[in-house]
Amino acid sequence: MTTYVGTRAPRVDSVEKVTGSAIYGVDVALPGMLHGAVLRSPHPHARILSIDTTAAAAAPGVTAVVTGRDFPLLFGAAIKDQPFLAIDRVRYVGEPVVAVAAASEAEAQEALDLIRIDYEELPAVLDMRFALSDDAPLVHPDLHAYERGPSDIVPHTNINTIYRYERGDVEAGFAAADYVIEGEYSAHAISHVALEVHAAIAQYDSGSGGYTLWVSTDRPFLLRNELAGGLGVDSSRVRLIVAQVGGSFGGKGVPVAEAVAVALARHSGGRPVRVEYTREEDLVASQHRVPAIMKLKTGVNRDGFMLARSAEVLWDSGAYTAYTVGVAIRGSQTIVGPYRIPDLKILSRQVYTNKSITGSYRGYGTTQVTWACETQMDEIAVELGLDPVAFRLQNGYEEGDSYLNGQIMHGVGLRETIEKTAVEIGWGAVEREPAPHLRRGKGIATMIKPTMTPSSSNVLINLAQDGRVAVICAAPEIGSGQDTVLAQMAADAIGVPLDDVSVPRTDTALTPYNGPVASSRTTYHMGNAILTAGAEIREELLGLAGDTLGVDAEGLELRDGAIYDLDSELRITLKDLLAKYSGEGYSITAGSRFSSQGSPLLKADPGEEWMSSIFWMLCTQAAEIEVDIETGVIRVVKIAAAADVGKAINPMTVEQQIEGGAVMGASNAILESFSYRDGRIENGTLADYKVATIQDLPEIVPIIVESVHDEAPYGAKGVGEPAAAATPPAIANALYDAIGVRIKDLPLTPEKVLEAMGELDAGGA
Amino acid sequence: MKRLREFEYYEPASLDEAVQLLSTAGDGARVLAGGTDLVVDMKTGRMRPSTVVNLKRISGLNGVEDDGGGTRIGALTKVPVLEASPLVQQRHPALAQAASILASPPVRALATIGGNVGRASPASDLGPALMVHDAHAIIAGVGGSRDELVEDLYVGPGETSLVPSDIITHFILPQPPPGFGSAHVKLGKRGSGTDIALAGVSASVVIGDGGVVVDCRIALASLGPTPFRATGTESLLRSGLPTEALLAAAAESASGEAKPIGDMRASASYRTRLARVLTLRALQGAIESAGMRVAA
Amino acid sequence: MINVNLIVNGDAREIAVDPRLTLLEVLRENMLLTGTKEGCGVGECGTCVVLADGDPVTSCLVLAGDADGVHIETIEGLASNGELSDVQQAFVKTGAFQCGFCTPAMVLTATALFRDDDQPDVENVKKALAGILCRCGAYPKILEAVAEIKGVQT
Repeated sequence: MTTYVGTRAPRVDSVEKVTGSAIYGVDVALPGMLHGAVLRSPHPHARILSIDTTAAAAAPGVTAVVTGRDFPLLFGAAIKDQPFLAIDRVRYVGEPVVAVAAASEAEAQEALDLIRIDYEELPAVLDMRFALSDDAPLVHPDLHAYERGPSDIVPHTNINTIYRYERGDVEAGFAAADYVIEGEYSAHAISHVALEVHAAIAQYDSGSGGYTLWVSTDRPFLLRNELAGGLGVDSSRVRLIVAQVGGSFGGKGVPVAEAVAVALARHSGGRPVRVEYTREEDLVASQHRVPAIMKLKTGVNRDGFMLARSAEVLWDSGAYTAYTVGVAIRGSQTIVGPYRIPDLKILSRQVYTNKSITGSYRGYGTTQVTWACETQMDEIAVELGLDPVAFRLQNGYEEGDSYLNGQIMHGVGLRETIEKTAVEIGWGAVEREPAPHLRRGKGIATMIKPTMTPSSSNVLINLAQDGRVAVICAAPEIGSGQDTVLAQMAADAIGVPLDDVSVPRTDTALTPYNGPVASSRTTYHMGNAILTAGAEIREELLGLAGDTLGVDAEGLELRDGAIYDLDSELRITLKDLLAKYSGEGYSITAGSRFSSQGSPLLKADPGEEWMSSIFWMLCTQAAEIEVDIETGVIRVVKIAAAADVGKAINPMTVEQQIEGGAVMGASNAILESFSYRDGRIENGTLADYKVATIQDLPEIVPIIVESVHDEAPYGAKGVGEPAAAATPPAIANALYDAIGVRIKDLPLTPEKVLEAMGELDAGGA
Repeated sequence: MKRLREFEYYEPASLDEAVQLLSTAGDGARVLAGGTDLVVDMKTGRMRPSTVVNLKRISGLNGVEDDGGGTRIGALTKVPVLEASPLVQQRHPALAQAASILASPPVRALATIGGNVGRASPASDLGPALMVHDAHAIIAGVGGSRDELVEDLYVGPGETSLVPSDIITHFILPQPPPGFGSAHVKLGKRGSGTDIALAGVSASVVIGDGGVVVDCRIALASLGPTPFRATGTESLLRSGLPTEALLAAAAESASGEAKPIGDMRASASYRTRLARVLTLRALQGAIESAGMRVAA
Repeated sequence: MINVNLIVNGDAREIAVDPRLTLLEVLRENMLLTGTKEGCGVGECGTCVVLADGDPVTSCLVLAGDADGVHIETIEGLASNGELSDVQQAFVKTGAFQCGFCTPAMVLTATALFRDDDQPDVENVKKALAGILCRCGAYPKILEAVAEIKGVQT
């Protein structure tokens, strides 16, 4: 029986956020703090011939000037290919080359002007297809020599990731199919645009040889380990203290400002150094979503059943791999969509280019592959004269189906997400021409996403003598409301009022290990750990109550801060119990580790277990759009967005994610893109990289679907990651419905709409 | 944060003092009005003035007044004041409309009409609106005060005919004749229209007896190196009856007069198309504001 | 250095500052009021919005000298003695924030809006808030908060 789980409890971070007292990474200030600034590469690919820092080092206020020669170390999440500061060459415009620390940020920035660097420009690889060709220069000639994890590379090429998967016989499948469709689709680079820019403070302690960092990250332990790995020190020598995070969306997991801050801290004699990226640096030199070119071929029968699919995906990691290896592999898997297709062949390759680093972005590859999959699904439906909704339902996963690797799928609310979304958008009825220059249409798209598996979460829960509970865990609040969700689960697991529960900030020296706050994994994994630890505390409290009251603990219940007997009579409040009967310095601490490893739910075909997911996320979105056929401008009128979340621990925070994802997805699809010229981004400022404002907001109807998952805490799965993936294809499918034009390359700009209508010459700028 | 470089800062109490300071500082001097262009330029490094002269203490440069039937607008008048002014809304609707979609509200609250004209962006919102009302600028400078048509101020992208010691003090918009109407339309990246114009069009018409277009003005933004008047199109419209056919021809003509470049924001061919589409919409708006309907 | 009469949240004081500082820098670094944020520095994101004589303005574009004598209100000035304002309470109740970085600007702008008009229509609300980006996409719940405030104020 629950008091808080399932309710729209106000968020526990409410007051600090509406009063402005929340301290984000950029707000932290320390005594004696120095400020850093970075001189960056103006070339996409060049050798560094010489760097003269003499004048800069002598400039007013400057305390340190550091180059890659002073700090020649490499880091990387999957492949250790990235320098803290460029060492002998630069590989993208914006790469950090020289870092300056000074008493004030203004002095540090001004000193940059005094640095002289001689570059020898090298031919650059600016296109991912070119990167594959034999003529392309190698961005990383030493790729084969880098320390790396277990994924595959193709040595002496630009291919830093290669992954193949086959099941059944696709050629036979295509031969047997009544209809075979082939298409090429592309998803572009976009930026997270978290409103809080990348920033970090680092401090070096020469006594211990260790570093302390004040950061804003979604994965403190992974980031810590990556930094320690790059620095060549034991991970216990690097401590991360995490502030409130002003948005991450997958972008705050790898060393960005942290790398520069650490390099400067090493040369600052123990003084903390802050490096705060400007928005322009954040847009160009943090990470982008991994662009992808996807060739998709599907064989389908006239009756609508899909028989075979082959996919060739090319991903662009930019100059360094960061988190892209996982994206290229895990993302490619889901190009199959949430559909039963017996014969499959997937080839995924990722190349280096001399462009901005790409990396994990909300969806971890699923936004790109869902674009391809769901666009083609509609093309098939149109060709065969099938209703797009019915076609998806017909092929969609149901509870108990086998996934690609034989895993039995559990917790599959796909059908309900599709049906409810279709009803909400008013599928089948559209006011086609609301005005002479306007046309309307409706489109639908669905998607599937796994969660990081296996992964684990640890929690320490402390109940103090005053009844307050601290949920000590390394799960930074990145905006998704999970501090609240964890607190709700802890409150009910123990039986205390929500107001008495707090979730302290993460400090890797104190909080036990947690995987990343990513992959929508926290509610599930940390939730399960909380259930176990909470139950221990509850049991001990009931024992104390039983002893105090002279009754059998089995006959007592602890609920919302009070002890009741089985007739629901109040016997004593928890606070009274603790205050009067618990003994000197009483407190309970319970810890628990939860890991999905070894769960019977993950069983699959031999050798393929790694593809399983402890839970699956299924989402569907439908869009109604209005297009101005004279200007090509698309206005999204309404989005119905459904997500199968297992159980909504807090329906309000779940709605926040569904709505927020739809806003982001629509913005990604229509407004956002980077314009490169000769390897340089031309629009690296918010004046020209636009994201949606409240005036661009369509009507959004969030729909919460709850399927049953036997191992989920209170039944809850996850919601945040997939939320922006189905929006772009839903919009594009609606565009096709409105005016019969099919666009396969994101973004959906007005010019592309007019070109597809035959009303504009492509060949403009 | 982007930090500003050092500069000398003055807040003169009079125009003469301001002109004096600017003239002494020479090329390195810049006037500060609202700051929405200057401070941005200083942060991006587009401008590094050695001297910044803040005009705010100088009296008499602010406000919208009736000027014997015409309208006198102080150069430091904040843009939201133009948006809300009943006088501007009634007499010069295109200017009120352009003001209402200039940047976003918290930036607009700082922006001034003088600043927008002085910045001379080819994408200027207020420039074309002023042009279709035959606005003049009163300019104080080293040689005293002078009067110039706003449309004559524009010399090139980001450049006016003003020298660093010139200060625009007022705009004078002559009284519109009976039958006058004007409108401003712009397309930015986002639907709200508050982004930098990919293309913008202001139009004004004077409808006379029999519903004939006695006079008109059409000014284009982001369709050439400076905002400019489509005089060929104006000739086409003069003396005609504003039918759908004539307006369509005018729109086509305007797109022919447009000389857009292609850049990262839009291609030349898209801008050319927008010239046609937005001119039609601006003309329809101007005719409606003159109290007329477009005949079939 | 110039002397600026800075009036922030009702407190007036004369300070000497480098004229090249913006109001945003003065608030965050001289006065340690970190509720006002920098998200871009060029007026495009709105997280630096404060109220200047009652109007929302992007403080990253206001030079320190220009703030002289102006009544500045920051987010820190809204709640009194630990009691949240109507606007703040509505944001809490409806969950009109996620990461919270844009929240001070949204709350201040909504506050200014309601001072002018206690029943603003949705289109005017959207126009007023259009200058503040919320990447988390809390817009739908921000509109719910506004509806809540209108309900409270009738």
